[in-house]
Amino acid sequence: MTLPESTFENLRLELRRGCLTLAVLVQLRREHYGYTLRKDLTEHGLMIDESTLYPLLRRLESQGLLVSEWREEDKRNKRFYRISSDGEQLLGQLLKEWQAINSSISSIL
Amino acid sequence: MELLDRYLQAVSKYLPWKRQADIIAELRANLESQLDEQQAELGRTMTSTEAEAWIRQLGSPVHMAAHYQPQQYLIGPAVFPVYKYVLRLACAWAAVVYLLVSAINLVVGSATVQPAALGSALLNLPFVLIQVAAWVTLIFAAIEFTAAHFPEKCPSIAGFHAKWSPSDLPPLERRTLSGGTRRSYALALTEAAFGFLVLGWLLLVPQNPYLMFGPGVAFLHASPYLLAPIWMTVYWWIVALNAVQLGWRCLDLLRGSWQRPSQYQHVIVKTMGLVPLVIAANVHDRMYILLKRPDVDLQAYGATLNQTNQGIHSAMLILCVIVSAQLAWAIAQAILDIARNRAASK
Repeated sequence: MTLPESTFENLRLELRRGCLTLAVLVQLRREHYGYTLRKDLTEHGLMIDESTLYPLLRRLESQGLLVSEWREEDKRNKRFYRISSDGEQLLGQLLKEWQAINSSISSIL
Repeated sequence: MELLDRYLQAVSKYLPWKRQADIIAELRANLESQLDEQQAELGRTMTSTEAEAWIRQLGSPVHMAAHYQPQQYLIGPAVFPVYKYVLRLACAWAAVVYLLVSAINLVVGSATVQPAALGSALLNLPFVLIQVAAWVTLIFAAIEFTAAHFPEKCPSIAGFHAKWSPSDLPPLERRTLSGGTRRSYALALTEAAFGFLVLGWLLLVPQNPYLMFGPGVAFLHASPYLLAPIWMTVYWWIVALNAVQLGWRCLDLLRGSWQRPSQYQHVIVKTMGLVPLVIAANVHDRMYILLKRPDVDLQAYGATLNQTNQGIHSAMLILCVIVSAQLAWAIAQAILDIARNRAASK
């Protein structure tokens, strides 16, 4: 019996969810607005939907991990995000956790 | 681009009004930047087909707006298992109480049961259950709302689970090694509800014999025969048997042990079922049917009466043998189960 495609898709999304947050926090050590951040992540091989990334930025900001400001660039008002000091601290902890998980999985494999 | 404006307008309809303008402004800036870049790569403006394909891949407006909302639950995952348990229990007991009260009302309300009143009582049951379910849901939704919006003012819902102790867990259920599938909750509930209906029906029979005999009541009235008093003894045994069985079923539902009723219950019910048959088989002079006016009708109907009584007696004896064999089988199974359980626990 083959598993339905949706089972893989659900598990893949679950696996990616936490990783994407980590990637966003890392990328926002440098200031970005939504679209350039998405492009940046895509260039690094992390495709992320608009409907996932833009709300994620707001959620991380409401958690105090990001700070943002509206600024005009190329005659267009854009909201620029960067990591907050609390976010930096948390990112350090998350990266340690990520490395521990990564090495555990590698040793299991 | 008009299509993008229409898309953003549609998204805004599903956003909380306080953050609507801010979210749409940001989304517009991001999407317009993306559009500019794609058009720069093409060296022209997008055609309407290309624009539609691009907007489509953004996801429907509801989908896009939903990601900006915090996860919302009417009843969240922490409360849901308790909600489901309470809902099942409340519906089961509402059905039991409703059927009992309806049966009492029908018996006390009038000398004879009106079929219309009986039908209406039964038809009302789903509405009673819907109301009970709605109230339970409303109460749990209120609990969820309070826990989500005032977490500091009410004890944490997760706290309920944190306080559990392994020593409070119920003892292991005895396994039935001789087979038998687990009964579902729906089946156990239906059996209990049906048990109430049967008991109500049985209690109504003495005042409303047509409920058991149907049109045969008219024949009994017109015939020279009448039922011997032994049938009332048998009747009360059957009522008692049904009441005991129903009590056990309700107890099983209440204790959560409906999946595997105890083997002892099975044996006791079978034994109780044998008693009225034994009483009936040993009735004095084998008189099951009597003549209303023996002094007048004995000569005309005496032979038929004796033949009928003899036939009923033979039927009772055969039934006694069958039910005794069933009881012996049930006892043997119970003994075997006990022995197997003992062997398995060693």
